[in-house]
Amino acid sequence: MTATADTQAGPITIETQPSRRKRKSSKFVQALPYLIPALALYGYFVVYPMIDAVRLSFFQWSGFRTESPVFVGLDNYVRLFTEDPVFWKALQNSVIWVVLSLLVPTLLALLLALGLNRKMRGRNLMRSIFYIPSVFASITVAAMWRWIYNPTLGLVNQVLEAVGLESWTRTWLGDPEIALYSVFAASIWQAVGFSMVLFLAGLQTVPHELIDAAKVDGANAWQVFRNVTLPALRPTTVVVVILTIINSLKVFDLVVGMTGGGPAQSTQVLALWSYTQSFTNHSFGMGGAVATVLLILSLALVIPYMAWSMKGEDK
Amino acid sequence: MLKKTKWSVAVATLASVGLVSACSGGNEAAGGEAGGEVTVWMTTQEDTQKAAWDELVSTFEEQNPDITIKTEARAIDAHKDALRQVAGTNSGPDIYWYWEGAGLGGELVDVGMSKDLTEYYEQYGWDDRFTSAALSSVTQYGGYHGVPWTQQAQAIFYNKKLFEQAGITELPTTYDDLVKTAETLKGAGITPMEFGGTVNWHVMRLLDSLIETKCGADKADELNTGDGDWGTEPCVTEAFTELKTWADNYLNEGFMAISNDDSSQLFFTGEAAMTIEGTWFESNAIDGGMSPEDIGIFAFPTGTERLYGFGEGFYINAESDQPDEAAKFLDFITSTEGQEIAGNAWAALSVNKDVKPSGDSVLAPTWNELFANAEGIYTNNDQNFSTAETTEYWRVQNSVLTGDLAPADAGAEFQAFRDANQ
Repeated sequence: MTATADTQAGPITIETQPSRRKRKSSKFVQALPYLIPALALYGYFVVYPMIDAVRLSFFQWSGFRTESPVFVGLDNYVRLFTEDPVFWKALQNSVIWVVLSLLVPTLLALLLALGLNRKMRGRNLMRSIFYIPSVFASITVAAMWRWIYNPTLGLVNQVLEAVGLESWTRTWLGDPEIALYSVFAASIWQAVGFSMVLFLAGLQTVPHELIDAAKVDGANAWQVFRNVTLPALRPTTVVVVILTIINSLKVFDLVVGMTGGGPAQSTQVLALWSYTQSFTNHSFGMGGAVATVLLILSLALVIPYMAWSMKGEDK
Repeated sequence: MLKKTKWSVAVATLASVGLVSACSGGNEAAGGEAGGEVTVWMTTQEDTQKAAWDELVSTFEEQNPDITIKTEARAIDAHKDALRQVAGTNSGPDIYWYWEGAGLGGELVDVGMSKDLTEYYEQYGWDDRFTSAALSSVTQYGGYHGVPWTQQAQAIFYNKKLFEQAGITELPTTYDDLVKTAETLKGAGITPMEFGGTVNWHVMRLLDSLIETKCGADKADELNTGDGDWGTEPCVTEAFTELKTWADNYLNEGFMAISNDDSSQLFFTGEAAMTIEGTWFESNAIDGGMSPEDIGIFAFPTGTERLYGFGEGFYINAESDQPDEAAKFLDFITSTEGQEIAGNAWAALSVNKDVKPSGDSVLAPTWNELFANAEGIYTNNDQNFSTAETTEYWRVQNSVLTGDLAPADAGAEFQAFRDANQ
């Protein structure tokens, strides 16, 4: 429905709400055929398996098509929390991984981005060098670092021996006390480049006039960073933190490739333990329960942070 | 403009319908195709094995031009995972190679992945072809599941030159002798025994043999395949204590951080004097550069006179749509002609009782002797246990090896898991 009013400038057409709604609805119908394939694929390959994993956590099932799942209610969760000898270790390792990932590679990435944002010779080359590891497949990184850590032929121990630090040599991936951190070091090497690029992109959006104004007002380098650069990097930081949390919680291939979760499950993490329970131990109910815990943990970490950061943006 | 929009909407709709139908059409074609291709899944083969396998396939295809054999090989753990993932579906192979023990082959039999081959045993007269030891592995689940491929035994492989270098003139016949041998080798600056700890089943061979040694045959069987209590048996603690002693004193440095492939290099290159390996290892060692004359074997001196071993077989998938062609291929590779092509690439002794040991194998006579003198077989525990129990067994084993768990607590820890997961 359209109402028309005559004015000196000519007729003004005022669209009523039903008309706008109609046009929106018509646009939606037109868009639907384009959306259906992607929605169908997303629903089938992402949403359905996620819901099904949660559903499976209430069943006992060996994973074979020839055997029917048996509903066991919360039994899998009770077993997971009270009887599973690996779950708590995997949870602890996942939490350690998230905390370290938020601290070490994120901070390193920010420092690198700040350093490589300055005008200097070889800047693009340096940026490429730091970024390259993040384009490698994790399993390739794992293979490389496994060799680097090899107790007899590996680079780390050989270098330590060459500089007279034999007492520092270790079986980096064979000692349960340090294996997780050895794998994490490889993760830093791989992850820092990607966050660095995000921070570099964010730094290009920091208004120069604000920095100049701060300098004119007598702000030193730290004050400029603290009061101008860092607030301007807030949207980028939100993205980096969220991606880091998600990537940390789902870390899998690097651990599989370097230690397989060993020695003695000391590098086990939730994502790998969910896989192991399902596809190695053939206990899909337990695997689903671990995956559900992982999902809840991810949402519990990401949603409050997103809500907090969006609130900050609104202000 | 409106026409254009309508046209593009129509094209997009058709495209989406086409995409969906294309997906379903692809599946239909794959499922409905009735060709002469037989798919075989097996583990990645060493050079000698691959050459022998290729010859087996090409000879069979020459004799049966209407059948094509397509082989897909994976690493050991990937092979296990792949089979578990396709069990009970129509995505699996026609034939799969697998270990015959209850925890592995038996599990797939339980879930109906293996076809009962009784009709083919009658058709091809396979009952008369195989040795009784080999046949017992395929009849243990009722009916006939699988066709025997190897009857493997594992023993201590040793480097004769390194033994000589350390002044060892007699092979150990008791466990105490074995420890003394290790001590002598260590004293001579030689790593006594090598293992790769990242694949848990490698060091497990030492633990399994120590359980057999300290508990004896009957008790070991109760513990491994019966309802024996790991938490209350003093022999279990003794076995774990010995395991820790070996880890601390006689195994290669950093063994927990390397794989069996990496640790085998230490044996091939003469840096480690012993390892526990199977009948397949002779060809691996030769491929790895060792001279056959330098390799010797002796049974782990458990004192029970049982040999450490297991069987491997080829199974026909119950979901296969060409079991006849698959059976024909299995008949060929286990026939006298096929086994002569196979030679000693997989094992020193053939499962076909008409095939004499290959003259190429230096160790075949010793294996023959070991089999002849053995008073039974004790099987690898990853074949005895369920997969979940195996995962826990390895965790406990590795916790003891790394010092995170006291040997005295290991048995109870494992038993607690078994009790909770019955």
